[in-house]
Amino acid sequence: MSNSSNSQPIVELRDVSFAYGQDAARALDHVSLAVNEGEFVGIIGPSGAGKSTLAAVMSGAIPHHYTGQLFGATYVDGQDTCEVTLTDISRVVGSVLQDIDSQMVASVVEDEMLFGLENYGVPHDQIEERMNRALETVGISHLRDREIAKLSGGQKQKVAIAAILALAPRVLVLDEPTAALDPASSTLVFETLRQVNELAHITVVVIEQKVALLCKYCERVLVLSEGKLAFDGEPHEVFGHARELRAMGVDTPRVARIANSLLEHGVVEKIERPCLNVSEAKELISGLVGYAGANEGAAAPGERAGQPASALIPDAVKPTRPSRHKPAARPHAEGAEPVVEVDDVSFAYPNRGDSVSDLNMRVYPGELVGIIGQNGAGKTTFTKLLNGLFQPKTGTIRIAGLNTREVPTSTIAAHCATLFQNPDRQICKDTVLEEVAFGLTLHGTPQDEAERRAADVIARFDLPAGESPFSLSRGQRQMVALASVVVLNPEVVLLDEPTSGLDYRECMTVMETVREMAERGCAVIMVCHDMEVVSDFAERIVVMTKGRIAARDEADAVFANDELMAAAYVEPPQVIALSKELAAEVSPEFAGISQVSGIVDLVEEMVNRG
Amino acid sequence: MGSVIDYIPGTSLLHKLNPVTKLALAAAIILATFLGDTYALLIALLALTFALGAYAKASAGLLTLAKLMVPLSVIMLVLQTVFIRTGDVLFAWVTVDGVVTGTKAALRLLGVALPLILMLTVTKLNDLANAVVEVLHVPYRYAFTFTTALRFVPVFSQEMNAIMEAQTARGVEYDTKNPIKKIQLMLPLCIPLLVSSVGKTDATALAAEQRGFYLRTRESSYKRYPMAAGDYAVLACCVALIVLGVLF
Repeated sequence: MSNSSNSQPIVELRDVSFAYGQDAARALDHVSLAVNEGEFVGIIGPSGAGKSTLAAVMSGAIPHHYTGQLFGATYVDGQDTCEVTLTDISRVVGSVLQDIDSQMVASVVEDEMLFGLENYGVPHDQIEERMNRALETVGISHLRDREIAKLSGGQKQKVAIAAILALAPRVLVLDEPTAALDPASSTLVFETLRQVNELAHITVVVIEQKVALLCKYCERVLVLSEGKLAFDGEPHEVFGHARELRAMGVDTPRVARIANSLLEHGVVEKIERPCLNVSEAKELISGLVGYAGANEGAAAPGERAGQPASALIPDAVKPTRPSRHKPAARPHAEGAEPVVEVDDVSFAYPNRGDSVSDLNMRVYPGELVGIIGQNGAGKTTFTKLLNGLFQPKTGTIRIAGLNTREVPTSTIAAHCATLFQNPDRQICKDTVLEEVAFGLTLHGTPQDEAERRAADVIARFDLPAGESPFSLSRGQRQMVALASVVVLNPEVVLLDEPTSGLDYRECMTVMETVREMAERGCAVIMVCHDMEVVSDFAERIVVMTKGRIAARDEADAVFANDELMAAAYVEPPQVIALSKELAAEVSPEFAGISQVSGIVDLVEEMVNRG
Repeated sequence: MGSVIDYIPGTSLLHKLNPVTKLALAAAIILATFLGDTYALLIALLALTFALGAYAKASAGLLTLAKLMVPLSVIMLVLQTVFIRTGDVLFAWVTVDGVVTGTKAALRLLGVALPLILMLTVTKLNDLANAVVEVLHVPYRYAFTFTTALRFVPVFSQEMNAIMEAQTARGVEYDTKNPIKKIQLMLPLCIPLLVSSVGKTDATALAAEQRGFYLRTRESSYKRYPMAAGDYAVLACCVALIVLGVLF
C-alpha cells in the first residue's frame, strides 16, 4: 500500500447534497462518507433512495455530466471533483453503468478493451499485456474475438468490468451489475469483483439489491433512504437493524429475520451477531435446541453432530405436520378444466441454435406456477409461446380454450395478460388513466366504462392518474403496467421477471396483488429469478434446463432436491436450505419447513418443550 | 440477433483491404451506377456487387436486403411508368419510354443500396472509424458518431421489436395482415422508442467520456491501417469503374 492511502480516503464526500433541477427534491441529502483504499463496499436502499446519484457523485458524472444543484464537496484521491475534469477523475475511478448495452462502444470484445487503453495513451508496447491481464483477471480470455451482441448478459457484464480494469483505476464503481442476471451469473460477477479487490487491490463500490450477495462479499454496507445515509457498517451490524430496514423498504436475509424473530419472541435473550448465512443460523438454532435437548438429559450440544437427533423426539410429535409451515394451499375447483394446456410443444429460432422441446403443462384456474432455471434455459421463449407471440413448431397450446396457432395474439390478449420485465415497452399513453384503460378499450369495452374501471384500480394502487407514466419512477411504472393487467381481469396472467428492478416493498406489493388475482380464480404463470419470491408465492414449480422441462413438483419438493437445483444452476432459498441442514443434523422435525415463521414457531416450541 | 449490417468474419482479400479502400470501392460502384445509362453496365455493376459478396462469403446479408429492396424497386418501376407517358403505348397506360426509365431506376435503387451494405458486412465498425481517422484525417468525434449511429441500428430495431411484442400481447393488432393498418399502429410507438433511445445515447456519451474519449488523437489507435499495394490496385479499379460509368 502506498503512503497516501493510509493517510487519506480514496473517495470522500463531505456534506454532499444534490438535486436534478431547480425545484426538484434532493436526490442526495447531506451525505458524508469516506471510502478507504482496498475496501469492498456495498450500497443498498429502496428505489428512489439516491443510490445511482451517489454512484454518479463518486465517479464524477455529477457535476460533469448531469446538471443540477450540488452542495458540499467530493474528493477523489484528495482532489475536489469540481476542480478537475471528468477525464482525470476517470483515471482514478472507473465506473460500470446500469445499462450495460449503452456502456459498450465497440462491436467486438477486443476493440472494446482497446478503446480506453488507446485514449489514455497507454504506450502501444504495453497494451497487449494490459489487455491480457485484465481479461485473465475477469476470466474471459476466450471471449477476446467474440462479438459483444452475441454474448450473454453475464459475459457482457464481465467485458465491461475488464474494459475498465485494463485502465488500472484505483476504484471501481458499479451500478446494479447483476440486475438482469440469474443467481448463478450474479454470484460469478461478485466472485470476479472479489478477485479484482483481492488480487489487483482495487477498491470496489457496488450498488446491489440482492442482500445475500452483499452479506457474502462486502465488508461494509451503506444503506441509503430518501437521499440520506441511514446505516453504514459491517454487514452483521447493518442487518441487525431488520425492523428499521424493513420499514425503509430494504430486504434482509431470511436467516437474519429468523434470528430477529427469535429475539422478539423471547426465545433468545440477546443476539451478539445477527445471522447472515445458513451456517450461522444453523449454529444459532442448534445451539438453542441443543441446549433444550440437554435439559432433557440427553444430547449435550457438543455431541449433537454424531447422534441421530430423531431418537430424542417423542413419537407423538414425530409425524410431520405438512401444512402448518407452508403457504396455505389455495382451494382449487375440483374437476375444473385446465385453462392452460400445453401438449408436446417444440420451437426453434430460425437463425439460432437455441430451441425448446417436449414442453407439457396443465395449469388450472387459481394456480400460481413458477418457472425457474438459468438464463437461456428457454423460460422467456416458453412465455412467448404461451401468449402466441411465437408459434409452436410441433404440438399445440390452448389458452382459455383458444388454440394459439389459430387465434392471433391480439385476440388471445383479451384472455391472457402478460406483464413484461421492462414496463417501458408496454407503456405508450400520455396519462396513467389512459394507459390503464387502454387494454380494456382494445378489447371492446366502451371508453367511459373502461375509464371508470381503470380509475378504480388506479385508486387501489394509489397511483397518480393524471400524470404521464414516463415521469414516474421505475417501480411506479411497473405498478402502472401491473394495474393495466389487473384491470383486464384476465383468465391467465403471464409474468416475466415481475420483480426485477423493484425494491423489497414494491416487490411485495406486486406479488401480493398477483396472489389476490390467483385467489379470485386467475391462473398465474410466473418466470422469476428470485427464489425467495418463488418459494413464498408459487405452490407449483416447473424447472427448465437447456430448453426442456427438467422437473415439476410442489415448490418445497423442488427446492429440497439438491441434484435438480445444481442442474438448474439455482440456489435454494435460505430457509429451505436451513431447514434441510437442521433436519439432517438437529431434528427431523425441521424437514420441509419453507417459511421464516415455521422455523421460529418450531424452535420456540422445542425450547419450551425442553 | 442478426441484422443485415452485422460483421461477417472472413479472411478474403476483400476483408483484408484497408477500410478506406472498401469505402472507395463502394462509392465507385454507386457513382458508376448513377452515371451509367445502359442496361449492360447497370446489370454488370449489380453482378459485380453480388460476385464480391459471394467471394467474401457475405452474400446472406446481401440477399436479405435484396429481398427487402425488390418490392421498393417494383413500386419505383410502376411510378415511373405512370409519370413517363411518351413513346409507343405497350398496354394500358404503360409506354416503352416508361418501362425503360422505370427498370433503370429500379436497377439503380438496388445498385446504390447493396454495395454500401456489402462494405459494412466485411468491415468492423471500429476499424472503419480508426482507418478513416488515420488515412482521411477525419476528426475522430465524427467517425465515432457515425459508427455509433450504425451500431445502434440493430439495437433500436431489437427494441422496436420488443415494444411491438409487448403491445401485441396487450391486444394491439400488430399481427394484422394489413400493412397500412400496421404502420398506423406503429406511429404511437415512436414515443417509447424515443424515450429509450435518448437515455441510451446519453449513457453511451457518459461511458465514452469516462474512458478518455476527449484525449483521443490520430495517433491513439493501437492497430494501424497503412495503404498497401493491393489497396492502390483496387483504387485504380475504382477510377476505371467511374470512367466506365461516364462512357456507358
